[in-house]
Amino acid sequence: MAERSGTTEALDLVLADLRALSEDIESCAVLSGDQDLLSSSHTSAVDRERAGALLSALVNLSDRVARESGKNHASQLRIDAGDGHLLLVRLEGGGVLAATTGPEARVGLVLYDMRNSRGEVEKVLAKGSDE
Amino acid sequence: MKKLLRRLLLLGAIAGAVYAARGYLRAESAATESVQMVFDDGSTRSLASNTTEGREVTDIARKIVEIGL
Repeated sequence: MAERSGTTEALDLVLADLRALSEDIESCAVLSGDQDLLSSSHTSAVDRERAGALLSALVNLSDRVARESGKNHASQLRIDAGDGHLLLVRLEGGGVLAATTGPEARVGLVLYDMRNSRGEVEKVLAKGSDE
Repeated sequence: MKKLLRRLLLLGAIAGAVYAARGYLRAESAATESVQMVFDDGSTRSLASNTTEGREVTDIARKIVEIGL
């Protein structure tokens, strides 16, 4: 449990850095390969659970679409949701780094910053699983 | 009388064609590409918002954007 919270704290720091770097990001989270929401801006357990379940459903759906296209999975997903964008970057081990933005966000730039942060997130996850 | 009837029929046909064309153009413009997927090999796939898959993905994404992460 202590290891888990250490990983969560380290992920929170990486996500805080990402948000500081990319001002267009409104919220971001990391979903593990086991589809647990490891880090999120929500403090309420109910909201975290709901966000995690929705994100997990989306990842499963995108995997299904990828398989139908003859691929294993999508490495990056960009969704225009009307009131904003949802951006997903796949991590090693099947997890995802996800972020939401407003409708006027510079999405390409946000994705660039997310791809740059991916290595840090993977490093934290790998360290957490080693301990 | 026959002439009037013919003109009415012609007007009706034109109105029908305009209505059909409007509906077609509206459906075309509604089919925006709302989902872009990039795969490991660099290939991409877009899902339009008027397809079942595109709608499913967008519906979930809309809820996530609404509540935040």
